[in-house]
Amino acid sequence: MATPRPTRRQLLHWTGAGAVAGLAAPWLSGCAGAPESETSDDATGGGGGGGEFTVYWNAGHAYAAYDEVIAAFEEEHDVTVNMQKYQWPDLRTRLLSDFASGSAPDVVEEPGGWVQEFAISGDALSLQEYIDADGADMGFPDDWQPRTISRNSFEDQVYGIQLHLTCTMLLYNRAMLDAAGVEVPATWDDFLDAAIRLTGDGVHGAALNQDAGYAWPWLLQNGVKYYDTDSGELLVPNDKAIEALQFQADLVHKHGAAPVPTPGTDYSGPQKLLSAGRAAMILTGPWDLGPIQETSPDLDLGIAPALTHETQATVQAGTSVFIPANAKNPDLSWDFIKRITTLDVERAATEEVGMLMPRLSWVEEPVVQQDERLAAFAQGFDYAIDTTEELRLTGKSGEVTELFKVLYQDVVMSNTPAEQAVETFLSEAGRVLEG
Amino acid sequence: MSAPTTTATAPPGAARPVRRRRGPFAKSLNRRYVITAYLFLLPAFAFFGLMFYLPIANMVSSSFRTGAQADVYAGMDNYTRAFEDAAVRNSFTVTVIFGVATTIGAIVIGLTLALLLNQKLRGRVVFRAALLVPYLTSVAIVGLLWRNILDPQLGILNRLLSDLGLPTQTWLNTHPLATVIGVTLWMTVGYTMVLFLAGLQGIPEEYYEAATVDGAGPWQRFWRITLPLLAPTTLFVSVMAVINGLQAFGQAYIITGGGPAGRTDLYIFHVFNVAFTSRDFGYASALSFLLFLVIVIFTVVQLRVGRRGEVQY
Repeated sequence: MATPRPTRRQLLHWTGAGAVAGLAAPWLSGCAGAPESETSDDATGGGGGGGEFTVYWNAGHAYAAYDEVIAAFEEEHDVTVNMQKYQWPDLRTRLLSDFASGSAPDVVEEPGGWVQEFAISGDALSLQEYIDADGADMGFPDDWQPRTISRNSFEDQVYGIQLHLTCTMLLYNRAMLDAAGVEVPATWDDFLDAAIRLTGDGVHGAALNQDAGYAWPWLLQNGVKYYDTDSGELLVPNDKAIEALQFQADLVHKHGAAPVPTPGTDYSGPQKLLSAGRAAMILTGPWDLGPIQETSPDLDLGIAPALTHETQATVQAGTSVFIPANAKNPDLSWDFIKRITTLDVERAATEEVGMLMPRLSWVEEPVVQQDERLAAFAQGFDYAIDTTEELRLTGKSGEVTELFKVLYQDVVMSNTPAEQAVETFLSEAGRVLEG
Repeated sequence: MSAPTTTATAPPGAARPVRRRRGPFAKSLNRRYVITAYLFLLPAFAFFGLMFYLPIANMVSSSFRTGAQADVYAGMDNYTRAFEDAAVRNSFTVTVIFGVATTIGAIVIGLTLALLLNQKLRGRVVFRAALLVPYLTSVAIVGLLWRNILDPQLGILNRLLSDLGLPTQTWLNTHPLATVIGVTLWMTVGYTMVLFLAGLQGIPEEYYEAATVDGAGPWQRFWRITLPLLAPTTLFVSVMAVINGLQAFGQAYIITGGGPAGRTDLYIFHVFNVAFTSRDFGYASALSFLLFLVIVIFTVVQLRVGRRGEVQY
């Protein structure tokens, strides 16, 4: 018997029906109920019951030390950890899109400042109940650097746990300073003198960053606060802010001791100049140690304490981890955070990549004490300040920070007098704060 | 299978057409064809609805709201704020300059290259391909490439200039917008060149021969024949260049970060920062909708003006 051939009309009907079925299937399956991973509700956090556990992580922080923790976590909870790695701007874009769409990962690493922002907006989960239950066992908050608690808290509730803790210090090419007979600077005057003396033959004595965040050690050293909660004013005292910004601009435009920073989105410019032997001194954090070591292993790198002017100060930085408010299994997320912030993991990450950590007991570890560079950075924790902590609580830090970026670039790149640029900034930022 | 026509073709010499009555079977068949046609169109409707019209409707709705979740009704506040915002005015001005410069540049340089490569030159295929390659490359790669080339301290351009004894450049600081426009033109002129080449090859050779017989020189032939007959291509290129110019984002995001001090803060980049740095989706939606209106107005005006200039011989 011959196989019946479908008519053209039948083919049309079948294709049309297939198209409808193809479109309807995802919606129908969506109506049928959430996937198993979403319904697996293990209140004890003792097991995930299969499924996927999504973590948003910085692309530069995918350490082998964390891989071991993740493997153990997967085995314990029978879940697959999906580590999605992003650069910070992309991570923020993805996360905000997730929040807008009502979905969220299970754990998020953030670069500092987001925890309070998302606590205010209701997108971050308060960890206070977990800390009340498990804090003593994990050493929280007693074993954490005190300043890392407030920067992750909102209205007396902790919303994030500090994962890494860093600060900006003065990195210099020891051979260049020795050859020029220049002492390691300790004050602004020393720094300016050294930068001028080290400039020449295609080398600049110093290199400033195009990223406005790197202006803050100078402002802090001149006693400037980003936001004064009592008066509600910015860059207080204003004259000290003007002086600090003008000092940086003069370093570039008046003394020619630093190249004009090039606008962009990359903060590695000064590190590249130091590595290439084109700059003698830069202000940066431990995140640049790896690239310097990699590109210039023979560079005789020195790390000096932060400079002193009105006071000795530097910028505190570092990442935290938090749980989104609509994470599908917060208990499991909390268990992940507990595991990834233990002292053993901190030690392993430091041994692996030289990252600095927030536990007080970490500072006492031999791996830190015996490493001159790590010890130098760790000393900075005593006077490092989180510049935007008070500003973040206004809920306007994003807009104000964008305006500060314009201010910094206007002064340091375009050589606009600091007094004039600060006046413009205060006027525009004031309007933002007034809402 | 008979066609579902309602009127039979009149035979030659027939006094009047014979109207065939539609029976229940014909009606049913017709309905089935209509349903089948809609079923085929359904995926396209669903795709455009979900991916274009729903987000646009959502954006318009969000533009009347404020707050981190864009969940608080704000009336026209976002729109009035947009007209008072100095940063928006700056980014709009920057973007209009960028859009006009890249449009004029794309037309002038693209047409010039097309005229050159329309000649019978040896290796012209290689030149055409080489000029098109930047357009086929992602704006992120082009941006990073030029960012590194133009770096004042470590970029290859300054090394070259220095080796040649010429003064070095800091164009990303001194002329940032012009530099970004230049990079964009480097990337896009290959595409406009290809479009103009296609237009040039569609002009019959007889027109030029007739004009030459009439004593027209090269310049007259260009103004009287080439340019008028390229009007549809020029219109298409200008409309697309204006739209792309007003929507440019990657250049600011990759090359300059909008700096220095907002001098390359392209509009979409500004909207991106409002949405994802300041987390003000309502305001960002209002700014996006305003740009949408500007693009529609620009396009309509361009099409009207452009079509008036079209000629046919």
